Amino acid sequence: MQIEIDKDLCCGAGTCTLVAPDVFDQDDEDGTVILLDAAPGDEHRSAVEEAALRCPMAVITVG
Amino acid sequence: MTQSRESDHPLTTRPFPTARPSGCPFDPPAPFAEARQECPVSPLRYPDGHIGHLITGLRSARAVLGDTRFSSLPPGKRSPVKVPGSELSTDVLPPGMFVNMDPPEHTRYRRLLSKHFTIRRVRELRPRIQEMTDRLLDEMEGKGGPVDLVEAFAKPLPTLVTSELLGLPEENRAQFGHHVDVLFSLSSSGEEMQESMTLLGGMLHALIAAARKDQGPDILGRLTVETDLTDEELLGITFVLLIAGLETTTNMLGLGTYALLRHPEQLAALRADWSLMDGAVEELLRYLSVVQIGPIRVAAEDFEFEGRPIRKGEVVTVSLPAANRDPLGFDDPDAFDIRRGATRHLAFGSGPHQCMGHHLARLELSIGYESLLRRFPGLELAVPAEEIGLREMMVTYGVLGLPVRW
Ligand code: HEM
Ligand code: SF4
Repeated sequence: MQIEIDKDLCCGAGTCTLVAPDVFDQDDEDGTVILLDAAPGDEHRSAVEEAALRCPMAVITVG
Repeated sequence: MTQSRESDHPLTTRPFPTARPSGCPFDPPAPFAEARQECPVSPLRYPDGHIGHLITGLRSARAVLGDTRFSSLPPGKRSPVKVPGSELSTDVLPPGMFVNMDPPEHTRYRRLLSKHFTIRRVRELRPRIQEMTDRLLDEMEGKGGPVDLVEAFAKPLPTLVTSELLGLPEENRAQFGHHVDVLFSLSSSGEEMQESMTLLGGMLHALIAAARKDQGPDILGRLTVETDLTDEELLGITFVLLIAGLETTTNMLGLGTYALLRHPEQLAALRADWSLMDGAVEELLRYLSVVQIGPIRVAAEDFEFEGRPIRKGEVVTVSLPAANRDPLGFDDPDAFDIRRGATRHLAFGSGPHQCMGHHLARLELSIGYESLLRRFPGLELAVPAEEIGLREMMVTYGVLGLPVRW
């Protein structure tokens, strides 16, 4: 699984961090997403897909 | 500016419905479901005769809120119903009121503020919120039932939390709570509102001046040190935090407790297994969707949206209660089920304006409900359900009061 994010569009509210804390974090300075692991193992797939679906800016792409 | 005429639309043109069905105070007004069945984007008549659009489908709501061609800027924006306080809003945009801005101006404020609402920062607040909650419950217990849960708990908890975040001194909190109360109350006159607005403005000005001097650890103290925001901008930001964070959380606490008391089998399941609490909070957010009028946007250009022509200047109102009961998004959407895993709801909106305080709100709600229910194992209504008044004509839905005993 390969993840891409568009940080410029990120609204910084951290829904991704709530859903998949092992993969996404929030920047302490501006709240925007930090991708902890761009290629996480399959055990994270459902959480990552959930995060992508719930991301209010639709900036998480899962490949 | 072009305005669409009714004859352009083959669909029913409706006014925005506010009356809740008599059987269930938690269900959205019935015309929303009819509108959604016709089309998730349907014509809506505003009080001044303007014909805009009503969004009732989950997918369409998410799409509108994420599409900046639907602008948040005030010119032409209007409420689909006349609600108390709506006459206070104007077409001029005060500095710092970023709820009414579009990117990139809006983005600048979010980037400066978000650090105070990250999941990490919010989790650090847990022990303090628990302490404040326990103190309120001690007072309630000391007084003995029946008490109005709204006055004793649902209102003061978010007010205390917000006061602390903003660095409001203890001795000013009662006065602060009073003014906020007047601004949000159904029964306040226009004059009373204006007066409280002025006095609250004065208090916040003093607070900002003190924050500049003390440079404390609270949000305002940090913002004065770490950003170049002006006093006027800080005032606007503080108003946004108050407007966005207090009434919403208060009504979720009050109406949420009422919903649990009216669904005893769900309440019993929760009491038997507190690990269901996070799911229960999500389901309460979805099922109750207390932000019942709006978000409201204005089309910034002519374009086609989901096959329907949208013209510049047309006002679009999203119904979150309707979207969160969309059968295409949720199985058996009108059932209240704390185990359904209802995470993809829009109770906090979506897009660039998605609630900045959602982590904080979730934490206040889970601590609030659990502490209340644990403290009072026999919690029940102290009046017949028919006597519970509802906030039908307010932006935020909820109970007017909730007399309880234990
Ligand atoms: C359960 C309680 C809450 C609910 C249901 C709620 C709901 C919402 C919704 C629907 C929006 C979107 C408005 C729009 O799109 O125009 C919003 C925005 C916002 N909320 Fe909340 N909210 C809650 C609690 C809070 C709290 C506790 C805070 C923090 C102090 C907060 C701060 C904000 C802010 C600052 C915005 C504006 C964001 C922007 O325009 O960029 N909210 N909220
Ligand atoms: S959910 Fe999306 S918009 Fe929100 S912080 Fe994560 S990536 Fe950014």
